[in-house]
Amino acid sequence: MAGSGSAHLRPRDEVLLRVEDLVVEFPAGRGRTVRAVSGVSFDLARSETLGIVGESGCGKSSAARALVQLPPPRSGSVRLDGLELTALRGEALRRTRRRLQMIFQDPISSLNPRRRVREIVEEGPRVWDLPGDRVDEVLEAVGLDPRAAAVRRPHEFSGGQCQRISIARALVLDPEVVICDEPVSALDVSVQAQILGLLEDLKERYRLTLVFIAHDLAVVKNVSDRIMVMYLGKVCELAPSAELISAPAHPYTRALIASIPGGGPDLPPAGTLISGEPPSPVDPPSGCRFRTRCPRAGARCASEEPQIRQVGEDHWLACHYPTDSR
Amino acid sequence: MRRRPGPDSQATGVLGRTRPGSRSAAGVLGRMGPGFWAAAGWIALVLLAAVLADVLPLARYDETLAGPPRSGPSAAHPFGTDGLGRDVLSRVVHGARVSLGVGVGAVLLGLGIGAPLGILAGYRRRAADTVIMAVNDVAQAFPALVFALAVVAFAGANLRNVLIVLGVLGVPSWVRLVRGATLTYAEREFVLAARVLGARDRRILWREIVPNVAVPAASYAFIGMAVVVVAEGGLAFLGLSVQAPTPTWGGLINEGRTLLETAPHVVLAPSLVMFLTVLSFNLVGDRLRALTDVRESGLEPVREAGAAPLPSAPHEVRAGCLLQAEDLRTHLVTPRGVVRAVDGVSFTLERGRTLAVVGESGSGKSMLIRSILGLLPGSSVRGGHVYLSGDDLTARTPAEMRSVLGPRLGTVFQDPMTALNPVRTIGTQVTEPLRVHLRMGRRQARAEAARLLASVGIPDPERMLRRYPHQLSGGMRQRVTIAMALSCGPDVLFADEPTTALDVTVQDQVLRLLHRLREERDMAMVLVSHDLSLVARWADEVIVMYAGKVVERGPAAEVFARPRMPYTEALLRAAPRLSDPVHHRLSVIPGRPPDLADLPPGCAFQPRCPYAEDRCAREAPPLTGSYACWYPLDEVVVEGADSRGR
Repeated sequence: MAGSGSAHLRPRDEVLLRVEDLVVEFPAGRGRTVRAVSGVSFDLARSETLGIVGESGCGKSSAARALVQLPPPRSGSVRLDGLELTALRGEALRRTRRRLQMIFQDPISSLNPRRRVREIVEEGPRVWDLPGDRVDEVLEAVGLDPRAAAVRRPHEFSGGQCQRISIARALVLDPEVVICDEPVSALDVSVQAQILGLLEDLKERYRLTLVFIAHDLAVVKNVSDRIMVMYLGKVCELAPSAELISAPAHPYTRALIASIPGGGPDLPPAGTLISGEPPSPVDPPSGCRFRTRCPRAGARCASEEPQIRQVGEDHWLACHYPTDSR
Repeated sequence: MRRRPGPDSQATGVLGRTRPGSRSAAGVLGRMGPGFWAAAGWIALVLLAAVLADVLPLARYDETLAGPPRSGPSAAHPFGTDGLGRDVLSRVVHGARVSLGVGVGAVLLGLGIGAPLGILAGYRRRAADTVIMAVNDVAQAFPALVFALAVVAFAGANLRNVLIVLGVLGVPSWVRLVRGATLTYAEREFVLAARVLGARDRRILWREIVPNVAVPAASYAFIGMAVVVVAEGGLAFLGLSVQAPTPTWGGLINEGRTLLETAPHVVLAPSLVMFLTVLSFNLVGDRLRALTDVRESGLEPVREAGAAPLPSAPHEVRAGCLLQAEDLRTHLVTPRGVVRAVDGVSFTLERGRTLAVVGESGSGKSMLIRSILGLLPGSSVRGGHVYLSGDDLTARTPAEMRSVLGPRLGTVFQDPMTALNPVRTIGTQVTEPLRVHLRMGRRQARAEAARLLASVGIPDPERMLRRYPHQLSGGMRQRVTIAMALSCGPDVLFADEPTTALDVTVQDQVLRLLHRLREERDMAMVLVSHDLSLVARWADEVIVMYAGKVVERGPAAEVFARPRMPYTEALLRAAPRLSDPVHHRLSVIPGRPPDLADLPPGCAFQPRCPYAEDRCAREAPPLTGSYACWYPLDEVVVEGADSRGR
């Protein structure tokens, strides 16, 4: 798995966001670099939700931040409605910000503790010199009382409510694409259900296109039209959500599903599908990056990196020896 | 990556839910305590006196023979007179002008130069940071006092020079402080969010960063003033500050030196005023620093709680039972009232069984474990009993508990990184309980530790013993804490969210390991988790907690397949499952968990319960049989719940 290629991208005029061969690098000390994202491509049609799932260190959050150019990727292309974002700098890049918004994992750290909730949500219109008449509307849309928001600060709200504030802040500028980076991971089950339901409502109401990043496959399946599985900075598998869960072809996807208690009743036990822990991204394995944990790995996996290829209708895979589960 | 609220932050969750105005300016200042107010009052008094020195009804500071020389305190001269018969009070008040003037001025000068540099270094990072901090380090290595003496001696001892020298000397510390504070906030997600909104750098600095840096800076400003007042006093004492006849505190002390035997008040008065002022500056600065913790935990650090003042009902102690909790209660005494974190929990656990405690944050599940182990915050009171093989643990003193924790009760917590000491090797940490509890020798303990690490699936255990926690992956670290928990062969293993901080594929490995070890060693296990599917897979029995109480209990398969309490049902329906269709609407539990310090009357779940009737708001349902509910669900089969069972 863990392969490269862009065969799975759809024609440019059909998609709103097109990401091609994205590479994100960070310094890792002593002159070394970590390739957090290594040649990842994906696209989003208008009003679609793409789920990105993977374990820690798979590069999903780094990819999300590279989409909004914070920081810009090392190389690769991010096109929003035909506009190449990676070529823009300074003011020209800033002008695109309204169209692409983000929601973060930690509801506490993503809100400035010293500002009132209404000021936080109002920040967008202030930055853009817009009238603030949408502020009350979005506060109500996310289920917050605008009067309470006017006087209170974030710490007076619970985690779930803080996440609603973050969502309101992202929506007040009427963006086209919203990137949700683990938006419900820090929340309790009952609150998580509220926020997932809210995101679905808002998606419909404001015709949003969503990138939904999470480590929890069940959560991702709940909201996504298509799911992309990542491992150590590479794409493993991409398929419509129902198909990915019912007919996973990549050994890593299968292991991921089987690891969830009660997750894959038809799959063998997770212990036989995966072993060990992810290797360090500073020094990834050659060839297929999953091969060190894969029971199916052969000699070819070490020498040759698998390319993404089609295995079914809109079902894409990067693996030399996939399982044919159908 | 993902992290669930741990015991401490969880308690904040309990206590911290919607506290209207609790941290408003007035609320915060009200909690500063009398010491703060006395100090602030003294500073205000000295400041006011200094400003109004000319209009106050005082003798002129340079008027000689205003009274008899060297006379002690009297009605006309409250601080007495000095060798030339000048009024000491007047001189101290005028001296305050110089001392405080230099104090405030030098701090503002240091702040004015240091803060922009610090913010620039912390916010811009990269080259700006490297250059500024390199220069700063060199500046900080300069012998400050020598520099001050040299400059003042060379350029002339006057107010302006003293102020500039002391101000400039403070710059490096300001740069360091402001840079550090900026760094912490510049990496917060709200700064990223402001960028995503399209805010320009200047707006981000003023709106997002400066307000957060302001509080630590204000705190440091007061401490800085104390330092400068002392430094100015030192210079003045050496005659290197403002020259006579203008009085300064240091100068007054110097002048009075010769009169120490005949008229000690001449030295004592300025000394005392200076001492009190410096003390006050430090105190105010210190208290302001406490404000920086925007979210203070509601709990004090863990202490071993001894007393059990809550009365308990008569009950039967079951002789054959390994672990028995009887009406266990833990109440935390907080400024907001009594928080009933654990409120009457009873259960029994046999060898070879796993009991799961499920609930959302704030349900009291972690506090229940701490109550059993006797590891409670000092502000808590505990009631009820815990019996380990019929032996009442609640009757033990903290010292006596120590012989039980480890040898008989083992613990594994959520975050293996905080459970391990980062500066000690794995070997030292794993052998420690063996040497303390089992009194093994060094070599024997080392061999046993290697055997333990091998038994939890760690490859090459001999080499692992020489490593440090940060060199291990999260899964390996958790295996090490499991090995430590098992080292003395406990009867019961408590695992509090043991896999929540781990990746999914590693979670499964660790749970499998725990399950295998439980069987091999014929232990009992108490598994605390928020994850229902995990509990359904690995537990034999389950208790569901809500607002500190058990609302449902029974065999895991039974409870999850046919929940009787509406809360259990709601929890099951709220959790997304892989078998659900895409875009499936999860049922939502309306509202939020209750405030444990202010529980609703009757059943605590009643305000959120779709089946609630009038009775639920009047009377709390007792736990009869397997559930605590007046209107239990009949044999409702939750769709898909069966497939979660083992």
